[in-house]
Amino acid sequence: MKKRSSYPVVFVALSISATLAASSTFAQTVDTARIEAAGQNDWLTYHGSYKSHHYSPLAQVNTTNVGNLGVAWMHIPGKSTRGVQSMPLVADGVLYYTGSYSRTFALNGATGEVLWSYFPELDEVLVARQTHSPYNRGVALGEGKVYVGTVDGRLIALDAKTGKVAWDTKLIDSQKLTVGFTGAPLYAKGMVIIGSQGGEWPGRGPIFAVDAATGKKKWEFLTVAGTEEAMKTWGGDSWRTGGGGGWMPGTYDSETNTILWGTANPAPLYDWSGPDFKTQGARPGDNLYTTSVIGLDIDTGKLKFYHQELPHDAWDFDSSVGEFVMLERDGQKLVVHPNKGGFVFVYDRNLGVKNVWRLVQNINFVKDIDPKTGALIGRRDFPAGKVTEPPLCPFIGGGISWNAGSYSPKTGLYYKIGQEWCMTLDIQKTTPVTTPQAQLNIGADFKMAPPPGGEIYGHLDARDPVTGAKKWEIRYPEPPLGSVLSTAGNLVFVPDSRGTIHAYDAETGTELWNHNNGTGHQGGIVSYSVGGKQYIAVVAGFGGMLADEYAPNFGGVYKSMPRDDGALVVFSLK
Amino acid sequence: MLPVDWLGGFREMELDVLKLHLKKIALLSAVLGASLAWAELVRAQSASPAPDNEAFDVEQVFAGTCGFCHSDGGRAAGKGPQLMNSPRDDDFLRNRIKHGKQGAMPAFDGAFTDAQIDQMIKFIRALKPREG
Repeated sequence: MKKRSSYPVVFVALSISATLAASSTFAQTVDTARIEAAGQNDWLTYHGSYKSHHYSPLAQVNTTNVGNLGVAWMHIPGKSTRGVQSMPLVADGVLYYTGSYSRTFALNGATGEVLWSYFPELDEVLVARQTHSPYNRGVALGEGKVYVGTVDGRLIALDAKTGKVAWDTKLIDSQKLTVGFTGAPLYAKGMVIIGSQGGEWPGRGPIFAVDAATGKKKWEFLTVAGTEEAMKTWGGDSWRTGGGGGWMPGTYDSETNTILWGTANPAPLYDWSGPDFKTQGARPGDNLYTTSVIGLDIDTGKLKFYHQELPHDAWDFDSSVGEFVMLERDGQKLVVHPNKGGFVFVYDRNLGVKNVWRLVQNINFVKDIDPKTGALIGRRDFPAGKVTEPPLCPFIGGGISWNAGSYSPKTGLYYKIGQEWCMTLDIQKTTPVTTPQAQLNIGADFKMAPPPGGEIYGHLDARDPVTGAKKWEIRYPEPPLGSVLSTAGNLVFVPDSRGTIHAYDAETGTELWNHNNGTGHQGGIVSYSVGGKQYIAVVAGFGGMLADEYAPNFGGVYKSMPRDDGALVVFSLK
Repeated sequence: MLPVDWLGGFREMELDVLKLHLKKIALLSAVLGASLAWAELVRAQSASPAPDNEAFDVEQVFAGTCGFCHSDGGRAAGKGPQLMNSPRDDDFLRNRIKHGKQGAMPAFDGAFTDAQIDQMIKFIRALKPREG
């Protein structure tokens, strides 16, 4: 009798374990090693992997069948003030992304079914006083949790399975400094790293590391005068209101135990010093470590090495916009980093300059940058007064913005958006305002202007990432503001500002497919696979700080485009 | 406690010298005091908004803050609308500056007094195209 009854017990036991196995697939841990390995089917960190290639190794969708790409499903996050700007992440068939106000979603990657959502309560009075707000650029994954920053200066960890809050740590006194977090965090080695907004705001631009398990702050690095050496590069009291920050995620180099991060510009953005910026003007000196790429020891947050891409940045051309593309060439390990001014810097892994090349044609804030040393040649430093002939190029929106480029290890090409536009200015002496609450300190009235003798336009370039040699270029009437994706299917996806997502042949630049998503793009795009089917996920929804310049300057479709709406659109082969 | 004859012991010449010394001390204190006050004012200027009774430089506020969105110092549309020749009435402008517009313009009710906002409205009404 007992022998017979044991059979159904075994059967039941097997069923239970099968069910447990299915749910544990959902809950497989994302850790540093997994992010480093950059699995085929997943997109585990903002930049795709620590190599920051923004590349998918999936090839099911390719040049022969991309014409059959259609919408598989959509999701509308709601309350999309300033559009949708985030980079979706995918782990084991679950897609995680954010909308404005750090609204966080976990969706079934195959069907779009909402598994959970979390809407943090934000300090709405503070949000009403902010400008670069309330958009959010995405989450980080690690150790069974989803990490998201808020514009009121907090970093929140949610259980990846349930969306319940694991911890909620306040890092910035945003009520006083007016800035918080809009960028995605970075998970690495048991820590979550996130950088503050700063730049035009008179603060000191901190970058934080928080313990992923407990939420306790582990270290903080001040990008403005964060060391004794740096303090000497700020005349008078200017370090107190220096700006800085690191508002986009950098990356992690496990071989050297280093966090690589790009820092933001100093404040005021436009100085009245004239050529003698070392001793005159609003912030005499080189203003370390603003507009720099920095290498921090991940365990201690101590500075190991750095390169200041623009000493005494007088043009708001942050280093924070650029991805750190890690690649090898002729046995040398290199880091390729685009700067907002329109130059692309090529470094060794210790941020020693190896080459500098120009992505953008209309640049006159310097004559050139020495490709061997990175030294600025013929810089334009202005006294107070008007700048009109010639206008300053590029425009405050940059020759390059924070939308990521993509590197394909298959073609060896770097696909990157360049922006051609300029500006007139009237520079004035300003006084930083920090009480009762920090105010913007720009330092000039300004207006967008076309390049001398030319038109405003944007372009996608296919370039050798190390030499800058151009293979092909595609032009757009207005610069695209979305990130770029390349895949092993030999495709390059570009979501443009008018609302169309394009797919091009990665070798030749021939357009193979496009689709109108109904509104402009200014966010992320990824590819992943679930159940053997490849998907391409892109967010659409316009209205960010740079996007807001489009309607008044370009008219057309931008005049009717919503600034408070957006969607996640996911494609697969029909 | 001063010895009684310390003062009584002064001869007239010594008193003149004493008066001269006191004047010097007074002058020095005044100069020193003024320098400290100036340094304090400079530091204050570098970290707080102008108080009500001081000249409020709207043009500087534009170059620092408003002009980020209101292009060309308010003369052209940019991230924000053109302010020069605005069809909106004073109440609208006042309300907008104080309470902002969600996702478009911040609320400045904490940053500026009513009197300062009135000056900003005057400035906006007086905006003219740039010469030359």
